[in-house]
This record gives sequence, C-alpha cells and structure tokens, in this order.
Amino acid sequence: MKKFLPLIVFALLCIVPFFGLSTYVMHILILVLIWSVIGMGWNILGGYTGQVSFGHAAFFGMGAYAAGLLYQHLGISAWWGLPVCVLILTALSLIVGYICLRLRGAYFALATLALGEICRVAAENLVDFTKGNMGIMLRERTWVDKTWYFYIILLIAAGTYILIKMVMESKLGYYFVAIREDQDAAESLGINTTFYKTISLCISGVLTGIAGAYYMNYMGYIDPSTVFPLSEVSIATVVVVMVGGAATYWGPIVGAVIMVFLAEEIRSIPFIGAAHQTIFGIILILIIMFLPNGIVGDFRKLIKPLSRAKRECHHEFN
Amino acid sequence: MKRFSAIVSCLFLLSIFAPQAFAQNVLKLGIPLPLTGTNAKFGEIEKKSYEIALGEINAKGGIKGKKVVLEFEDSQGKPEVSRSIVERLIDVKKQPVVFGEYSSSCSKAVAAVAEERKIPYMVVTGATDDITQQNYKYVFRMNPTNAYYATGLMSFLKEVVKPKTIAILYESSDFGTSGAEDMVKQAAKVGIKVLVKEQYEKGAVDFKPILSKVKAAKPDVIYMVSYVMDAALLMRQIKELRIDANLYAGGAAGFAIPEFIQNAKEASELVMTATLWSQQIAYPGSREYAEKYKKMYKDYPSYHGAEAYSALYIIKDVLERAKSWKPDDIRAAFKATNMMTAFGPIKFEDKEGYTNQNFMETLVMQVIKGKHETIWPQKYASAKYVYPIPKWRERK
Repeated sequence: MKKFLPLIVFALLCIVPFFGLSTYVMHILILVLIWSVIGMGWNILGGYTGQVSFGHAAFFGMGAYAAGLLYQHLGISAWWGLPVCVLILTALSLIVGYICLRLRGAYFALATLALGEICRVAAENLVDFTKGNMGIMLRERTWVDKTWYFYIILLIAAGTYILIKMVMESKLGYYFVAIREDQDAAESLGINTTFYKTISLCISGVLTGIAGAYYMNYMGYIDPSTVFPLSEVSIATVVVVMVGGAATYWGPIVGAVIMVFLAEEIRSIPFIGAAHQTIFGIILILIIMFLPNGIVGDFRKLIKPLSRAKRECHHEFN
Repeated sequence: MKRFSAIVSCLFLLSIFAPQAFAQNVLKLGIPLPLTGTNAKFGEIEKKSYEIALGEINAKGGIKGKKVVLEFEDSQGKPEVSRSIVERLIDVKKQPVVFGEYSSSCSKAVAAVAEERKIPYMVVTGATDDITQQNYKYVFRMNPTNAYYATGLMSFLKEVVKPKTIAILYESSDFGTSGAEDMVKQAAKVGIKVLVKEQYEKGAVDFKPILSKVKAAKPDVIYMVSYVMDAALLMRQIKELRIDANLYAGGAAGFAIPEFIQNAKEASELVMTATLWSQQIAYPGSREYAEKYKKMYKDYPSYHGAEAYSALYIIKDVLERAKSWKPDDIRAAFKATNMMTAFGPIKFEDKEGYTNQNFMETLVMQVIKGKHETIWPQKYASAKYVYPIPKWRERK
C-alpha cells in the first residue's frame, strides 16, 4: 500500500481538473505544488545533506528572472526560462558552492542569507537590465484556463519527487546523509565533502529555480520584492520543510499543503482582520514545539494516541 | 453532552443557512487591501474611508435597493495573495465588479486576473504608469498615474521657484522608482539639472550617507519619493545635517499623510508635497468627508482615504447605471462615467497611450504651522505659500 501511495496521489491529482473545481481552488492547488517543489528542492540540501540555507529566494528569484528577462529582452516565450534556468542555476550553484560550501553550519547559513539579499539588491539596482522595482510583466499569459498550468506544475512536482527519490536511493544519497551525520567522519572515509555538498546544492538550486521560472509564467508579473524577499520566500521555504518534516520524501509536500491551505483558510475567516497572521503564527509554533521533526517525521507520535485507543478497544472485545 | 452537541450543530446549520435567508437584499462586495505588512497604514486609512462611504450609502437605501456589505480581505501587500483573493471573488463569490488594492504591484496582479476573466476592475490607488498602458479593456483607473503626480508641483517649480538643479531620492519600490523616473523626464523637459539620483532601501534607519552626498552637491530642490516612516526620517536627518536647499518637496504618499507631521515634528515645517487631493479642496462632499473622518478617527485623511471613499460612490453610480450586472454592461457603464466625487471629477478616457484612465489636476500642499495647507494651483489654495523658506539655522 505504502509503495503505491505516490502513484495514487499522482493519479488523483491528474483527474483533479475534471472535477470542475473553481479557478480559485485550482490557483490554491497550483500554489501548493509550487511550494512543494521549492520545499523538495530545499530539502535535498537542508534536510538530507544537513546544509541549512536561508537564501533559497536567490535561486527562486534567479529562475523567475531568467524567464522574465528572456521575454523582456529577447522577446521569446517565458517558457524558455524553464530549460534556460537549469544552465544559469547550475552555474550559480557551482560558484556559490565553490565559495560558501567550505563553510560549515551557521557560517554557511549566513552566507546564503547574504546571497539572497545580494540578489534582491542587485535586481533592484540594475534598472536598465531588470527594470528594477518596476518589475517585469508578461503582456499576455499563455492560457487563461488553469488546466495546463496545473498539469505542467504537476509534472514538475512529480519529476522532482522521482529525481529526489532516485538520488537518495543511490550512492550519492548515502554520501549526502553521511555528510549530514558527521562531516569529519565522512571526509575520513574518503568522501570529497565539498564536492558532494556542491552537487547537492546544484540539484537543490536548479529545482528551486525551475519553480521560480514557472512562477513567472504563471503569475505573469515579478518584481524583486516578490521573488527575492527574505521572509516570504527564503524563510517560508525553511518553514514549509520544518512543518512537514525535514529529510522525508513527503515532508515538503505536506508542509506546502499546510502552509498554503491553512494560511488561506485562516485568512478568509471573516471579520478577524489582521489577526489571521497571529493565529497562523501560533499554529506554526505549536506544530514545531510538539512535532519537532515535522508532521511526517513525527507521524508515529501523532497517531500514537489513536492507535492506543484502537488497541484498548481490542482489549475490551477480547 | 448530547444536548450541547445538538446546540452546536444547530448553530452550525444556522450559520450556513442564515446568510442565504437575507441574501436577496444584500450586495456583498469583497475588497482586497493590505491590512498587515509595510503598507498596512494606507490599508487602514482606506478601510476606514470605505466604511464611512458604506454607512452613507446604506443610510440612503444602498445600491439599487440592496444593502451593501463590505468584506475586507488582507492581501498582506503580496501580489500572489491579491491574486488568490480576486480569483475567489470572481469565481466563488461571483462578484460582478472588482475594486481596491493599494500598491502598484498588487494592482497589477489583480488587473491581469480581471482582464483575463473579463470582469471590470477599478484601480483605486495603484499609480505606476503601465497599469493602464497595456490596452486592458476591463481595467479602469480612478487615480492619476505617477507621471501626473508631480505636474502640480512642476508648475509651482516653474512659476515660483525656478530652480536650476535638483536632487532626487526615492525608495526602492515600484512607486518610488517610477516616480523618480518621471521626475527625471519632467526635469529634463524644463532644463533642470539632476545632480543626485539615489535609491534607498525602504524602511532604512540611516540616510546620512546618501544625504551627505546631497549636501555636497548643493541642489536647489530636494525631491523625495517615500512612504510613511522614511519620509519623516529623511526630513529629520536633513534638519540634523543642516542641508539647506531652496525647497524640500515630497512626491505624495508618505509626505501627504498626517503621520508625516506627527513623526517629523518641526522638521516637517514648510516642506511641500505633491498630492492628488487635500482636505481643504472644494469638491462637493470632500470637506464633509474630511470632517467626518476627523471626528471619527481624530486626524484628517490623506488622498488615499478620499480615493477609497469616492471609489465606493463610483461603484454605486456604475452599478446603478449599468443595464444589467453582466461584465460587459458594467464595462459600458464604466466607460460612460462622468461624475463628480469628493476626490474630484471622474471620467475614464483613452489618450496619451493610456486606456480607461482618469485624468485630473494635481495639487501642492505645504506644511504651514504644523498643518497641511493647499497652496497650488492658486485657485484651490487655502493659504498663501511660504517661499523662499528660511535656512535651518535661522529658524527658531
């Protein structure tokens, strides 16, 4: 059963557009999928390899701007951003990895934090190239209907899931985990840690960038403060993974569902005004306090009371 | 316990069915606004103003006999959230017309949705020029665009100040950047030389590095485009550094709201700002609105408030004139709009590269004795302008 779960979920999602859901629900589903991809991308670096990044907005924004700038300067479809951003982000990850991945722990986290901010400030100031804060706007999006957008992001998400599963079940994955558990021990076993950390960063960066390029195509408008922000992208990514469960296959997906759906539901409770952010914040704190490994990571803990009740039922019958 | 759950489920059922029981005579309008985040101050001014207009309209029988209910939804100033809100308004709530939002970037996101879905959208405060330059058929804008914000100020500069040089400081946002770009263009047209053009991080705590550069350049005019806190801090630090220019001018937004005077105190004295509206202006209903707002919330509203207040009246007018509440009829009604509001005359025109854009005169205000007074154009002036302004060390 567990083996087929991904297939079942995928099949269910495939037929979602035939339910005739409103575009609002489709929009929310698309956002969930975008965040799942970003979360899964972050997870490979932060969860499996243990290198916490606070700068994934840099990769997300770079992907979005790759698509936007192709459209803006070359006049070609922004969908070209998806393949092109793979090249750009691999290059960026190699450079960043070469410099920053010699650092460990908090120092690496701070370096990535700076990276995100550098990208934002650069995008704001290179007005001739990026149009600065005026942003880039697609004159016309490809489809009005959301079905195709949904299928494309669904494919991206499924591809991401498969890729991560493949990587983590290969030798590469074992190297990543070894680095997370003890970098010195890994080094002494002959693993070139900086090299494998850089590979992890490349995969992570490219996946996040693809989500960014898709975001440009889907939303049709970007500016530096929407795609490069610290709190709304970089930190939100970390929270998505933490809530769902770091270093689990399903964690980022569950986290994205909670972050997007829950935030949206609480926001639309009528008459609470600005209090929705407080409520949402409290829920997040509670989840992180009581389920430090995230919902998927602590799933057993979560269902323990339930299974105990079941067992007691059995006892009564016996 | 059983009784309790019965009561709860009854209440629950009631809450599902109750709204529908009254639905026939109620018109619900959802408005996306930034109620949290950096733009929350403006969202709040607008929310209060919408509510004042709502009270007045409902007291007079609502729109086409329907009682109006406004539902404010917090967009947090994020375009993707605005998009979610509007998708839901259009799709789930079947709202025939959309209006609201504060910032330019959110307005753009909403405009894109509205145009795709062919549902009329009225931009209330988003000022970036390009929103109405896209040839959008279903997007209307009641406020003048950024390019026109400073026209009033420009004519004051040309006729009274006659400066040769200018320094432009602007915040890193859509509004700030396009405001600064427009100023550069206008300055070039009149032959004013731009000595300094600097962008700063919004919400910065120290402007001294930029201001030292300005001081060294000795411009005749310092023009600043910023939101609330930055505007006050800029002026305070200009005073601290004793940067003497012939004129300090703000490009609306943060300079035109009462908080500017409260936060900057005496540093705000004699500072001028472009504005789209002022509480002294003699449009029908505008003074009544300003007094009412002051009575309820202890301060005069800024032009944002007047825009929101008038927006609801425009929507009322449009919905009453529309043949039916189908998008195309509403769009036709928008096109035919020609009305006077507390914010000024409203008419959506296609000219100078804009579509469905309202054009109007913009004003200049100056802080005189701790109060915003309208000083330009002279026919609207509530006080005589103070110029030339004394140097900082000559002031008390």
